[in-house]
Formats: sequence, structure tokens, C-alpha cells
Amino acid sequence: MTLSDVQIERYSRQILLEEVGGTGQERLLGAKVLIIGIGGLGSPAALYLAAAGVGTLGLMDADSVDLSNLQRQVMHHTPDVGRDKVVCAAEKIHAMNPDVSVNTYTQWAVADTIRQVIRQYDFVIDGTDNFAAKFLINDACYFERKPLSHGGILRFDGQLMTILPGRSACYRCVFDAPPPADAVPSCAQAGVLGVLAGVIGTLQATEAIKTILGIGDLLTDCLLTYNALTMQVRKVSVNRNLRCRLCGDTPTLTSLVDHDQTVCDLKGAQS
Amino acid sequence: MQIPDTIIQIHETVQQDTLDYRHQVARFLKGQVSPVAFKAYRVPMGIYEQRESGHYMVRVRLGAGLITPDQLAHVAGLSRQYGNGTLHLTTREDIQLHDLAIEDTPAVLEALLKVGLSTRGGGGNTVRNVAVGPYAGVGPEEVFDVTPHAIALSEYLLQDRSSFSLPRKFKIALSGTSQDDAFASVTDLGFFARIQDGTRGFEVYAAGGMGSSPRIGIKIESFVPETDIFVVAEAAKRLFESHGDRSNKHKARLRYVLARLGHDLFVQTYLEEKQRVLQEGLRGDTPSLRQIMAVPEPLDTSASCPHTQLDVRMEKTAGYYTVRLALPLGDISAEDACRIAECAASLGLRFLRATQSQDLLLLSVPQTHLPQIDAMVQGLSVALQNDMPPMVACAGASTCKLGLCRSRGLAAAIADALQWKIWGSDQALPVIRISGCPNACAQHQIADIGFQGHARRVNGRLMPFYNIFVGARLEQGHTELGHRIGALPAKRVPAFMQEVYEQGVSTIDAFKDCAARHAGLEAGQIPDDYYVDYDACRPFSLAGLGAGECSAGVMDIVNADLQQAQEALTSDHGDTADSLARAVLAAARALLVLFGVEAKSCEDVVQGFKTHLVAPGWVDPQSQDLVQQAATGGLKGDAGSRDSAASLVTRIVALHGSLDGQLNFTLAPVAEPVEVSQGTVPGVVDLRGVACPMNFVKAKLALERVEVGCEVELLLDLGEARKNVSESLKQQGQQVLKINELKDCISLIVKREK
Repeated sequence: MTLSDVQIERYSRQILLEEVGGTGQERLLGAKVLIIGIGGLGSPAALYLAAAGVGTLGLMDADSVDLSNLQRQVMHHTPDVGRDKVVCAAEKIHAMNPDVSVNTYTQWAVADTIRQVIRQYDFVIDGTDNFAAKFLINDACYFERKPLSHGGILRFDGQLMTILPGRSACYRCVFDAPPPADAVPSCAQAGVLGVLAGVIGTLQATEAIKTILGIGDLLTDCLLTYNALTMQVRKVSVNRNLRCRLCGDTPTLTSLVDHDQTVCDLKGAQS
Repeated sequence: MQIPDTIIQIHETVQQDTLDYRHQVARFLKGQVSPVAFKAYRVPMGIYEQRESGHYMVRVRLGAGLITPDQLAHVAGLSRQYGNGTLHLTTREDIQLHDLAIEDTPAVLEALLKVGLSTRGGGGNTVRNVAVGPYAGVGPEEVFDVTPHAIALSEYLLQDRSSFSLPRKFKIALSGTSQDDAFASVTDLGFFARIQDGTRGFEVYAAGGMGSSPRIGIKIESFVPETDIFVVAEAAKRLFESHGDRSNKHKARLRYVLARLGHDLFVQTYLEEKQRVLQEGLRGDTPSLRQIMAVPEPLDTSASCPHTQLDVRMEKTAGYYTVRLALPLGDISAEDACRIAECAASLGLRFLRATQSQDLLLLSVPQTHLPQIDAMVQGLSVALQNDMPPMVACAGASTCKLGLCRSRGLAAAIADALQWKIWGSDQALPVIRISGCPNACAQHQIADIGFQGHARRVNGRLMPFYNIFVGARLEQGHTELGHRIGALPAKRVPAFMQEVYEQGVSTIDAFKDCAARHAGLEAGQIPDDYYVDYDACRPFSLAGLGAGECSAGVMDIVNADLQQAQEALTSDHGDTADSLARAVLAAARALLVLFGVEAKSCEDVVQGFKTHLVAPGWVDPQSQDLVQQAATGGLKGDAGSRDSAASLVTRIVALHGSLDGQLNFTLAPVAEPVEVSQGTVPGVVDLRGVACPMNFVKAKLALERVEVGCEVELLLDLGEARKNVSESLKQQGQQVLKINELKDCISLIVKREK
């Protein structure tokens, strides 16, 4: 791949970085990232990855835009209300950076199909808003050996961790299984500060870019938590769990299962 | 200067030349001698520039491979003082120091001279080191000791300055046994010890050699008395001087003279030269045949030989042993060399020998001293490979400018694979030789198992590959070179070797079966690291191999593309647009490697074809459109396209066939050369009129396109551009070598450091 003059100019400010350079830019243009959930987390992640010139973005979401989404899902604008989220997002990305090709999947993440989709990508960003999907994506990424950025937000708190399947702690090593239904309030019940989605989503995009370029330190074996009120950022060390049902020494989970959706109000609740 | 006569008597002319070297270096450093002229002087002094520019290697000849403990300690000391603190033993019984600064080389040469060692004729088109078998002088099976003859031949030839300006290098070996442990049958001039009617003498072979077109020497003398070796060598040398092709170094060695003259005329010419030498007399003094290695008094061997971990071999005198130190690929640290030298001196040993298998031998060790040697060896830092099959590898692509594959990396991987494995046969361990390219510096054609690196295109990408040679036989009059029995991706060789080793594979058919089992490559299931050579961080590439460095391995790639082009053209579906496009692209790509271009994409092919074949007029300018169409899928499958494709393929094949030894086309161009604008001159990047910081961005990208260690010239506007760009490059760790003020711009020469 050779960078065109237009590309050199477009990406010049990151080509200037010693850690990126032309080789890194070519690597980004050749990379494929799947973003599951084009809501509060997925919006900023997709925008920054597109801007950085990640060559292929997969966008998966079955939802359509609701007026209540616009407070935090910055990919979607007022005229988009009622339209499919992935379609709206693809339009914005095309307008922003024609170098990026977008694959859209107007579907939920479900056990039947998720592995076939994940298989085609180099990195997965989990921007979903419910535990069932988060465990499913974690498991699917483990079976397909794809790196994953997990992210979650609620009220004023956000968290994220990066998982290199088989090499670093997975989501199940830390949180064995989804909590019982109704044990945790959903966004719709509890509310969320919109900008928090931007903070965590852009951090997830950062992890994707570092992984693609092979630079820096990843948030592996580490859960980063952020509180927007206290401005406390903590990195909590987590270890691989030898008894992890998925990636431990004697795994009992050997195929994907759909957990019950614990989030009651999906419409408008996509974080 | 008082020089001890330790092993070789260093002739006065060699001393003078060595002392004069200091003046030559001084003149070079002052800029009074051009680098090219200096190189022509330096290389025959045994001093080469390494792949990393500014770093030099000094090759010390060891007469018959022998070195005294005192000399070894001195050489090791020089490596510590001036070099990188290691020594390297070569396959021609030399010893090398690496990573020296050029200004230190005169001191090194003078210090060597003081202990009776010389580098004269270590490199270049000279009479190289005169080699013998590893056990010459001590082996129970030898006809007689040929060490004195090797030393005397060196002394005779080195005194004559004409020995340093031959058409090409000239190698001599003497074997004391019919088993040819000195490789005399595959050397320019090879002597086999023979006794006829009670008289010592030699059977002589000439014009053998390995390299990219190996051949076994032919017999030129059935018997000459030992005192006639000087006449034979002088005659062979004169034959070479008068018939060697000085215009084409690729076809210059004595074996090409044989190929040109034919067997009978070659022998006749040799005999005429010999007659002339006999009439005119020799050119210099005739050295005496001195007994170098005195035969010791037999020892009382009533006590059995002490048991040690050492690799020992009984010598012809009772109670004496040769201890073999199997150095990994001939490398040893200066510290270890010093310890060995000290121990050998303290035990009163007189000689060590560097062998053609890159081992270091301690000669004539009384059996009572073996425990002391064992204790010394235990304390060395080098991991001796005594239990491994002997392995020889050339320098390889990591340091050699000609190298294709990283042979030393493969050797290490094989050693890993064989660690703790058990040889599955009662035969002697097989000798493994690995050459990184067809130039055969590791002499893979005479190995029990030989590997020769080349490059293959798999799924459109280059992959490091090795041809496998087995079945070689070394015997006076019956030598056979190895047969090629298959080829494997470099990354499959260790597994192949492990199977061969554990099963004790020895027959050619069994080798073939085993290679075939490991050879399969299923598209879509090829691990990515197959495209990356051992110890390399980037995918395998021919980039950086300029025309000057083109070796026969590059020709493999050219041939593969030409074959693909011809097959696509003549296939059953030869008239479909798709196969025509493949034919056109393969033909357009075929010759680009000769220009140092490795076309990875269709765009690279189009651009390279335009720059290197269309612009200079080597092909019909209209073929540019054809290639463009083939690259973009716009080529039709009609008869017209077919004709155009066929004529392009024909032209490319003809150009390839016309290459001379310097890899220039000898056909006439078919079109007027087109001026190529300055911007496309490789290595020069025109950034005039480009504003900050875009000029820096483009400069950085240009540097990324060349290998580390290479240079790029940047043209920049006057003013702030100069400071901004050069400072920014420095901040990122690159080296700005030179800033030239030109009339309307500045030129920056930058070296990529990382």
C-alpha cells in the first residue's frame, strides 16, 4: 500500500508521531475494527477510528435512533430520529473520511451469528448496554481469538478493560456471569451523564489503535474505572482466573449461549 | 622488524607491503585516495568492509590452519582492543576479527606481523590461504604429513606480488588422505598425497570449485615428486593469469577456463606452462619443506585414556589425542580464546588448528593432560556443540551483502530442534552445511545434508526457501557433488531435520520421501511467519539487493516470473483476458529485481516497469498501456491483446537472455530513452515548494521506504525548512549526514538509523 498525497496530508499530524509514521498509517488503513452497539460508547469510538483512517469499520446495532439518545450518542443528529443507527452512522463516516469502508449489520449480537461476523475483524469494541451481550461478545472473542475492548457506563461511573483472549484476563475471569435480572439498574432507570460515554468510548478507540499499531501499554489484566464527579481514575489489577469457566484450566463453557436479557427497556436504553 | 619464524616465514615483500599499509590508510583518511582505489588496495590485504558501513573485518591467514597458543592469545587481545571482542573461524582455516575502525587496522596488521601472522592475500583476487585436512600431521590414516607442503607453497606464492592481482581468487588445498578431508577435489588446485616407488609426491587436480556453478576438479598430474609442487603451482597460476577472464568476475575462476578450453586443451595448456616454468625457472626463492609439527615420542599407554566430556580422536603417535572444540558456527569470544591459549601454553602444547568445519583443534595432547583440558573447557562461556552434527553456515543475509537467506538463523533453529534428540543410525553424524544463497560459501554441495537458500514466490509474496542437497561423496578421483532432492520453506527445515535425525535417514530415496512429506503448502493455511526469515523482523524481501549485488538467487526469481508468464500465455485458457493479464504482469515484473525493485503490488509493477524498462527504451513504449490495462483489469481477451502480450513476453525473455556478467542488457534498446524527471530518481526526494510541516512528513515517509542504514537525499527550500526538517529528523533519532547549500535550495543527506 502506498499513501496518496491526499492521505499524507489528511493523516500528517499522526504520521509525524514517531510511533505511527507511514508504516503505522498503512497498518491502520489495512485494519478492520468491529463496533458492537452504535450508541453512547460506539459513537465516539467509531468517529475517532474513522478519522484516524482505520480502513474498515463494522457497525452492528439493530436499533433505530430515539430522541432520548441524542443527549449522549453524538453520531446521531436530530433529523436521524426514527432511522436505523447503523445507516445513520455509515453516512456520517462516509462524509467524514472516504478512505473508510463501512460494513453495517442491522442485528443484535446473538449466539447464532456473532462468531461469523467477529471472525472478519482484527479488533472488537463492545459498546453494548447489557450484560447478556457483554458476556456473549467476551465469549465469542475468546473462541475467535480476537482482541476486545470492554466498556461500560452508568450514572457518573465508567469502566473499561482490554482483553487479549488466552493471554490476559477475560471479562468472565473478573465477573463470572451476568447478575440476576433487576439486580442492576439500567441506564433508563438510573440515568447517565452523556459526556461519560464520550470519555470511555474514546478510550476504547485508543486501545484499538494501540493494538493495531503494536505500541504502548494496553489495559490488559487491568480494569480502569473513572468517576466523573470525583474525577478519580483508578487502575485495578485483575488476573487471569485459573478457574474461569471460559479461559481457565478446565473450561466448562465450550460454545456460545444467549443469556436472558436483563435490561427491560432496550428502546432508548442503548447506552 | 624482527619477526619470529613461528609457522610461516613471512617474506620481505609481504612485510614491506604490510608496513606500507599505514601510509595508504593515512592518505585515504586525508582524502588523497578515493574509496574505490583504496578498496582495491585494502581487500587484497585481507580487510573487508562489513555490511554495516564504516565497520571492517580483518582476515588472518593461518598456514595449514595452524596457530600457536601465543599467537591465538595475541589475536584475541587485538579483537578485545580494537574489535568486537570475538573471533570467527572461517571455512578456509582463517581467523577473523570484526567491527574494527579503518584507522585502527594498520596497528592491528603490524601487531599481527610481530607475532608472525599476516593478512596479505586474505581477500580479493589473490592466492588465498593454503588449506589442509583437519588431522594433517597427526591423523593415523594419512599417507604423509602435508603440512610442510602447505606452508612452503604459501611462502613461495606470497613472496611474488603477482599473486595479489590475479583474474579472481585462487584456492589451493592439500589432502593427506584419499578421503579428501581438505576438499582438494573441489578446489582450484588440489593435491593428494601419494607414495610411488618409495618417493613422496602428489596426484594433482585443478579447476574444481563450488560457488553457484560447482564442478569437480580434473586430474592434471598422476604423480609429481613433492619437490615439484612449486613448479605445478606456478604453472597453474600462470595458466590462470593468462587465460582467466578479467573482464567478467562472475566467469573468471579457473573452472571457467576449463569450461572454455575443454579438458584436453586445458591439460595441454597447463603442461606447456609447466614446460616454460621448468625452462625459465621459478619466479622466486624455493622454500624448504620444513617439518613443522615434530612427531613426538610415543607415550606409555598402559594406563587407559582418562574419561572426559571432551570430543577426542586418537593420533598416529601412541598416547596423543586431538581435542575437537566444536564452536557454534566458528564463533568464539576473545576471553574464551585466551583461556584456551593459556591452558594450551601451560600444558606445553605447540599448535592449535582452525579447520574447514570451523572447529578449533588442540593438537597432540598427551592423554595425561586431557583432564586439565576438560576442566578448562568446562569453564568456557561458549556452548560447544560436541553432540550435534557438525554444522557450517555462511555469514548469511544478516551481514553479507550478497546473502538471500539468513543461514546462521536457520543453523540456530536446527540446533534447537536437535537439542536432546538422538541420532537414529550407527553411521557417523551427518555434516550439515547451510549456504544462504547459491554462491555456496558454506560448501553445501559437499555436505552430507546441504541447504542452499533461495527465494520463491508463494501467493504473490516472497518466501525464504532452501534447496536440499544430499549424497555428496569426497574421495580422491571419485568425488561426487550432492544431488538436489527437493526444497522446503525455511521455516519447515528444522522439523525436516528433526525427522531425518531421529530416524537416521541416509538413502537418497528416504531423504526425498521425508522432504516431500514436509513440503506441502496449502494456500490459505500458510502461517504469516513463513514469509519472515529467521532473526528477521520484516517480511522476506529482495529490496536493497542492487544490480551490483545480484546473485544467482535473484535469477531464480526472474526465472520463476518468466516461467509464469510463458505458462499463462500458453495455457489452455491462454486467450482469456485473465490469463493474458497474468502473463503481462509476470513479464513486466520479472526483470524489476535486477534494478533492486521488489514489486509487491500491481501499482509497483506499473511504476517500476515504466521507470526501468519503458523510460530507458528497453521495451516498446506502447507496452506501458498494456501493463496498465493488465494491472487495472482493463485488458481484453481478444487476438490483438494476445499478440501484444506475446510480444512483450518475447521481448522480456530476450532481454533476460542478453544479460552479461555485470547484469547489463546487451540487446539494443527499441526506443529512444525518455528523460525521467528528477523527482523519480531513486534516493532523491524533491520537497521544494512543500510547506512545513508537510515537508517533514514527506521526508519521514521517504526514510521509512528505505532500509535502516540507507541514505536519502532531500531537496528543501531555503529558509526555515532547513532548520525545521533537519532538527525534527534528529529529534526522531535519524542522522543528518550532510547539508549542502545549492543555488536555489538545500540538499540534506539523511541516514535512516531506526
